[in-house]
Amino acid sequence: MTMDDNKLTFDKLTSDLTHHIRINKGFLIWMGFLTISLFICLYAYTIQLRTGLGVAGIRDYVTWGMYLANFVFFVAASLIGMLVSAVLGLIGMKWITPITRIAETIAVAFAAVAGLVIVSDMGRPERLAYVFIYGRPQSPILWDVTVITTYFVLSLLLLFLPLIADMAIIHRKVDNLPSWLKPVYKSLSLNFTDNPQQNKIINRSIRILLILLIPAALSIHTVTSWLFAVTSRAGWDSTVFGPYFVSGAFVAGSAAVIIAMFFFRKNYKLQDYLTDVHFNNMGKVLATVSLVYLYFNINEFLVPGYKLKRADAVHLQELFAGKDAILFWLIQVGGLLLPILFMLFRRFRKPLPIMLISVAVLIAAWFKRYLIVVPTQEHPFLPIQHVPQNFMHYSPTLIETLITIAPFIMVLIIITLISKFFPVIPLHDKKKKKGIDHIKFD
Amino acid sequence: MRFKKLLFILSIISFVTRISAQTWVVPDDQKAVVAPVKFTADMQKQGEQQYLKNCQSCHGLMGKDNWAKLTPPPGDLSKEKAQVQTDGELFYRITAGKVPMPEFRNILTEDDRWSVIAYLRTFNPKYIQPTPVAKAAFTGRIVTLALEYSDPMKKIVVTASEQLKDGQTGLAAGVEIMLFVKRYFGRMQVGEIKTTNAQGKALFEFPADLPGNKDGFVEISAMVNDPKSVMKTTPANASFAIGIKTDKPGLTETRAWWSTRDHAPIWIILTYTLSVIIVWGFIIYIVYSIMKIKKLSREV
Repeated sequence: MTMDDNKLTFDKLTSDLTHHIRINKGFLIWMGFLTISLFICLYAYTIQLRTGLGVAGIRDYVTWGMYLANFVFFVAASLIGMLVSAVLGLIGMKWITPITRIAETIAVAFAAVAGLVIVSDMGRPERLAYVFIYGRPQSPILWDVTVITTYFVLSLLLLFLPLIADMAIIHRKVDNLPSWLKPVYKSLSLNFTDNPQQNKIINRSIRILLILLIPAALSIHTVTSWLFAVTSRAGWDSTVFGPYFVSGAFVAGSAAVIIAMFFFRKNYKLQDYLTDVHFNNMGKVLATVSLVYLYFNINEFLVPGYKLKRADAVHLQELFAGKDAILFWLIQVGGLLLPILFMLFRRFRKPLPIMLISVAVLIAAWFKRYLIVVPTQEHPFLPIQHVPQNFMHYSPTLIETLITIAPFIMVLIIITLISKFFPVIPLHDKKKKKGIDHIKFD
Repeated sequence: MRFKKLLFILSIISFVTRISAQTWVVPDDQKAVVAPVKFTADMQKQGEQQYLKNCQSCHGLMGKDNWAKLTPPPGDLSKEKAQVQTDGELFYRITAGKVPMPEFRNILTEDDRWSVIAYLRTFNPKYIQPTPVAKAAFTGRIVTLALEYSDPMKKIVVTASEQLKDGQTGLAAGVEIMLFVKRYFGRMQVGEIKTTNAQGKALFEFPADLPGNKDGFVEISAMVNDPKSVMKTTPANASFAIGIKTDKPGLTETRAWWSTRDHAPIWIILTYTLSVIIVWGFIIYIVYSIMKIKKLSREV
């Protein structure tokens, strides 16, 4: 490759991966839509803040309603950063590199908002700090806030470190940037000049982060599962809850990544970088984690179903044939069994079909959390006497629904902003792979 | 089919609740009962305090319609449904209760109960108090109990004395005595009810296997069995070293999973703290390295 070829490829690469960094009409409309929706939802939250949690459908029986289901879902979705970057990255899967930043973006967005989701379930949110002030080291609640905070910081650093080199390239080589963005990129690039020492620091830091990310991510969702599993209630009293939650999280996260890949590829014209191969491989990943999740599902339902202790029997009856049966089977068949079957075939791992499958899987993943959290509480071991009907049967209210939607909007805003102002595909990495080993920073 | 069944059950439930709501009938003689004294501002004030302590959790604040959502609904007592009732009716309902409303017979004294009614009536501008009928002077027995432990007999001796008509004190025979020992959750009765003999004494055998505190002390109390409240009685309390010496730490006094924060198991504190320190140590190190990147560019 001659110098000129080199320059040509590099210019095209830079332009391909950064041309979307500009404020256009589409972006403004999309952000405007998100912002207005967010304000509507936040207004609903102010009502809850003023009037109290009574505006939600949660009562003395079902005290953990949609908010908690939402929390579990958010923690789950954030776990994908660990699977893609750390697990697949560390074992040397080369094809995963262009997807790592998408996965990290999703991880950062969901982890950042997961903490807020919990606050939505608090009647006195100003007492959040009490968790730390009065927290007991024996309580999974303390472990949960600790690991979520830690995982968020780790993910944020892991998102930022590979960006340093990209920022340096962009602020030096890309001319048509909005003028106010240039100084931002300059300060974020930390005067990176691609010298070996700088690269060494970055590579070593990334490696440490990747290794730390695995136990942190495993803890965050295992601890979240323990919030349920350390009680003796039917449906929660389970020894496989940790791996059941973690495998379920990988399913939700992989689906989220595939959906994001699809829209970035289309909107930012990245067809040459996110190819059918990537979708095919991510489809295989989704199929694999879904199979693992199916395995834990069988364990989770077959074993108590075989023994049929009284409380379990009531719980399983409601799920399999009772009030929650339709939702349960829709989730298990439409969100797990059918997707697995489809994904076995190559043609369903093409971008459009795998994206549609992922949407189904992701929706099912949310409702699965709902079924894990809510039905158990509707049949307590010691029912309260003389309670009204709405204590016994949980039905979410409109305000509650709006407050549940708010975190999704926040996640979309975060993902939109990160993907809009930074290259979706790691630029510096790509450049190295194309054989352009050193760019002259003049 | 299932729907029909549900309808059937629902109609039964609503029928039963309607019937039971209607059947809280106050006996006529109780309806006619009137307060023993004229309601005063002091009584109303005291009644308000009792109301906030005992009634508000279900009936809500007076006039605010914020009663608890229970079946049957407790309702706001400032409203007509409560205020049309006679003082006697209100007094009876407070005294006797009817599930889910608790009975206040043993929680509030008669005076307290009348104070609450005095307070409730302040929300009814049309209310005129019927002429009070003072209670007849008390003519029953006035009994006081005393407790001792007789070492030679190995028995607990309860002595009942009573006030005689001439102002003297004498021993009370024929009084039914109950003996209790204090346990973790309330009192446990010891033996059967016994009647005092001509010397006003009742003897109780104390079980040999009951645990006491670390010095073997158990708290004993003696009471008169007087279900119809025809006497005025004063119970007796005493502590004797007749239990088995037990020195077990309380459930939250040792280090354990379930204990308080100050009694967390050492290994949990270590695991938690070390993990946090190690991981955050690395994070701080990485942040420090990132700051170094900036410096390195100047040196090149």
